[in-house]
Amino acid sequence: MSTPKLELVGLKKEFADGSVAAVDGIDLAVEEGQTLALLGPSGCGKSTTLNMIVGLEQPSSGDIRIDGRSVVAVPPGRRNVGLVFQDYAVFTSMSVRENLAFGLRVRGQRKAEIDRAVGEVAELLGLSTMLNGNARDLGGSELQRVAIGRTLVTRPAILLLDEPLSNLEAGTRLATRRELRRLQKEAGLTIIYVTHDQVEALSLADWIAVMSAGKIRQVAPASLICQQPDNIFVASFMGTPPMNLLRGALTRADGGYVFRKDAFVVGLLPGTDIGEAADLPVTIGIRPEEVRLCASGEAGLPARVLLAEPRGSETVVTLETGGQVIKAVIASDHRPTEGRDVMLEIDAASLVLFSGETNRRLPMIAELRA
Amino acid sequence: MPSRRLSPLLGLLLILALVVTLFPVFWIVMTALKPPTDWNAVPAVWIPAKPTLVNFRTLFDPEAIREYGVGGVSQSASAAVFGSLLASTVSTALSILIGLLAAIGLSRYSSGSTATPLIILSGRMFPPAAIAVPFVIIFSAAHIIDTYSGLIAIYVAATVPFSTWMLKSFVDDLPREIEEAAMVDGQSRLMAHLTVTMPLIRGGLFATTLFIFILNWSDFMFALVLSYGRIATIPVQLAKYVTATAGTLYGVQAALAVLAMIPLVLAGFAIQSHLARGMTFGAIKR
Repeated sequence: MSTPKLELVGLKKEFADGSVAAVDGIDLAVEEGQTLALLGPSGCGKSTTLNMIVGLEQPSSGDIRIDGRSVVAVPPGRRNVGLVFQDYAVFTSMSVRENLAFGLRVRGQRKAEIDRAVGEVAELLGLSTMLNGNARDLGGSELQRVAIGRTLVTRPAILLLDEPLSNLEAGTRLATRRELRRLQKEAGLTIIYVTHDQVEALSLADWIAVMSAGKIRQVAPASLICQQPDNIFVASFMGTPPMNLLRGALTRADGGYVFRKDAFVVGLLPGTDIGEAADLPVTIGIRPEEVRLCASGEAGLPARVLLAEPRGSETVVTLETGGQVIKAVIASDHRPTEGRDVMLEIDAASLVLFSGETNRRLPMIAELRA
Repeated sequence: MPSRRLSPLLGLLLILALVVTLFPVFWIVMTALKPPTDWNAVPAVWIPAKPTLVNFRTLFDPEAIREYGVGGVSQSASAAVFGSLLASTVSTALSILIGLLAAIGLSRYSSGSTATPLIILSGRMFPPAAIAVPFVIIFSAAHIIDTYSGLIAIYVAATVPFSTWMLKSFVDDLPREIEEAAMVDGQSRLMAHLTVTMPLIRGGLFATTLFIFILNWSDFMFALVLSYGRIATIPVQLAKYVTATAGTLYGVQAALAVLAMIPLVLAGFAIQSHLARGMTFGAIKR
């Protein structure tokens, strides 16, 4: 495997007051051309991580490597890392052109060189017509493009964006998302997004790193992280609504296992080998998207509809079954009325088990049947 | 800027406020143009029938007033004008420089403890009169009494708390990210402050400079107790136009007062657009 573009090794940051580590020893590798989203609730340490990568804050311990070389001792402007701030930080005392030229002027490049680079970036971002305008007069998405352009012009090896969509209106959001995707492809950039919004993360990045309390909880492809959360934190954080999590026990029953919590019983895929977890307490994860409703009378678990919350083409249904409350996401045209009795069907293949002790996902191997 | 129509009542109040504010200025200017007979005539002369520049000439040529039969002015005001310009300009520049560095340090790098800004301000909580006499003694011992460097030192010390606090408020209003952005783009800390922070707080910088200059320019007490005659400033000179034979020379005083106003009025006009604090907002558009 080639050297990762960016590598964080045991990165740690403790602030002077010494209460808790804001970033508590994280390891992360980002390959060249990859897009990764650092996703986590506010206060999880993602912004501190970002500031350390850029160089605005010094790590307490650990290492940051770009192309295999440690950059901890390198000042922010020399790391070849670009940062687009959440509030853009466009210099309103300057024109758009001066903003774009800023990084190159600082580096003492020749005027002809600067003009060419600024022209190119302005072209790429559709800013050519407003180069001579004052940055003070720009609107939200234009400001963001100027902020991105100002960073791109210095040809950073890694581009970091802090909550790039959060300040934009819904319409502009979609356009910007497309724009960022296109830019990433055209310029072959390595991009790290920092966000608390999983929709933003899932739509922008190929890889997701979920953070909480200063630690990275899981790094996985965006397409997989909702189906295969590594632990209960990720399971309860990802997805809208997140996975249904029920704490109970597994018992052996005719050739397989069933999960039991009070009157709620669901069977695992026949032939599943759950190894040493057999008699331990477990938490089962049921994705709301994998719960199906059928008419009362068919086979399945009897349930009652407590609440149906439509959100466009889908409806989030809250159900009561066997004394447990679980949520399901179903197509709105099959939406049941509240208070009705229905039957539930849960796809056994989609069930996820977590150890009741470590809260980590348990490997489940379905045996090949002869 | 949206144009707004004033209601008649508000307009009237504004005119009234303007009259109250500008009347002393009008009176001083008129008095400066009056010949000695009109200075304290009863009933008052509002606008002199025969305006004269003799009061202004007397400032720099003490004998000029004798053509009206008034005498006793012994000293030209030119030393005082020079002294005021020197002391106020240099001390304002130093005060702003120190205040700016302190403001950035306090606002951005939390220099000192959290109490530091308050400690700086507490220096101004003494009434100046309470520290004036000790300073006379200290300055005498240090042989800087009756010197411009001594006067400048005390002006700087007296105004640094204001310049620090005012500038700090402007730096505080500026999002930190704007400087971080400059640093990420390759600038050193110092250069980031020079090329990004300074232009963005320009309005505040001008306003603070003018404020500090006015403080220094109009100081009377320190200049009075810390000078024995070798140095002079305009406010001290103003008090000297009292003669044994003709009483107070109101016209000459008024002329010097008008002269003293001119630099402030000019500076005010020059930075008028920056005086509105609004200029500094919106450094980062959200």
